[in-house]
Amino acid sequence: MTNAEQDSRVQFGLGDAARLGYDYIIRRFNRASINIASIALGIAFLSTLLMSDSLYRAYALAGGERLGVETYQYWLMFVALIVSVVGITNAMLITVFERYREIGTMKCLGAMDRHILLLFLVESIIQGFAGGLAGYLLGLIGAVLSTGFSIGFTAILMVPIAEFITLLLGSVALSMVLCGVATLYPAYRAAKLHPVEALNYEL
Amino acid sequence: MSFDTIIQIEEIAREYEMGGSKINALDGVNLEIGRGEYVSIVGPSGSGKTTLFNLIGGLDRPTHGVVYIDGVDISKLDAYELAWLRCRKIGYIFQTFNLIPVLTATENVALPTVFAGVPRDEGLKRAEKILTSVGLGDRLHHKPGELSAGQQQRVAIARAMANDPAIILADEPTGNLDLNTGMEIIDLLHGLNKSRGMTLIAATHDLKMIKASDRIVWMRDGKIEKIERG
Repeated sequence: MTNAEQDSRVQFGLGDAARLGYDYIIRRFNRASINIASIALGIAFLSTLLMSDSLYRAYALAGGERLGVETYQYWLMFVALIVSVVGITNAMLITVFERYREIGTMKCLGAMDRHILLLFLVESIIQGFAGGLAGYLLGLIGAVLSTGFSIGFTAILMVPIAEFITLLLGSVALSMVLCGVATLYPAYRAAKLHPVEALNYEL
Repeated sequence: MSFDTIIQIEEIAREYEMGGSKINALDGVNLEIGRGEYVSIVGPSGSGKTTLFNLIGGLDRPTHGVVYIDGVDISKLDAYELAWLRCRKIGYIFQTFNLIPVLTATENVALPTVFAGVPRDEGLKRAEKILTSVGLGDRLHHKPGELSAGQQQRVAIARAMANDPAIILADEPTGNLDLNTGMEIIDLLHGLNKSRGMTLIAATHDLKMIKASDRIVWMRDGKIEKIERG
């Protein structure tokens, strides 16, 4: 190889991974929606609890009765998030198996290990974004209903907007991080696949 | 016709361990392939065709021996250079087409240009041009599932050509096609070999494909049995 040829090396950036990952999610929406639903439920649980808590506090500040979220509920939420993560790891592993041949093909076309890693991680993090958003909205509904019935729906008008916005950003970020973490192992396995084995794999 | 050498294979062997015993998939193969040559590799399954293919394509490393592509020992390449080789220098065509099902024909063909760092618009434009040249100008935005087997293989050929490689490696390209479609694919590949001077190496059982080639390499038990002029 000459130096001139060396200059133009193999490239596959974040933008390319995002575009391809998005294509996979849109065109295989059934599988993606399972992941999105899984993380959304975990995040919904989390945001319901935190929003209820923040509404209760606002209610107490306004002179209302002091109510709160029980500690065991936080534990339940913690477990729910772990279950979500494990579910996503599992689903992504299946996705990797389904795409063995495609991964092998991509490697033949010039993809490097880290490109494959990036592709799966980005795909999962996009799902995490969608799941986080959906989870937050579900959580909002959950919080409004559960607090509404205990302190009255008019009390909800005291909603601390800033806290809710922080919570929105936090939920989406957490969801993306959890999806990324959940996909580390499946993505690593995909990336380390030997192209010859991947191509010959029959599902 | 004479060719300058593009691929030189020296004494390569490839051993596999299987259940504790060693299998010699390739055993001391020497071969020189010229630039622009069309070589068919023929042999029963288990004769080492696929192993030879994988070694030429940089998908696998030999146990002994050296594969030179344009004078470079490809076993000395690092992961980066190997990816470069697969991306720019070699186009792969598979028996099972191996298109990415979620992408359209154009996007499939443009995929190697993404890895080659070609800007997206330019890559897509190039893909459309190549697809049109293989007779799929009216199928640009179809997904593989909406195309016939022959059309899918045309897309795969277009994809193999996307970065204008010097070498096309085709593993049983007509193996999953009916007679007439197979003929069309052979004509297409042969035409590309002649008009663009791409070196074409095809593993095949297809007699018509063998007849069209410049040289035929017969393999048996991991060795070259004989080499015939086409």
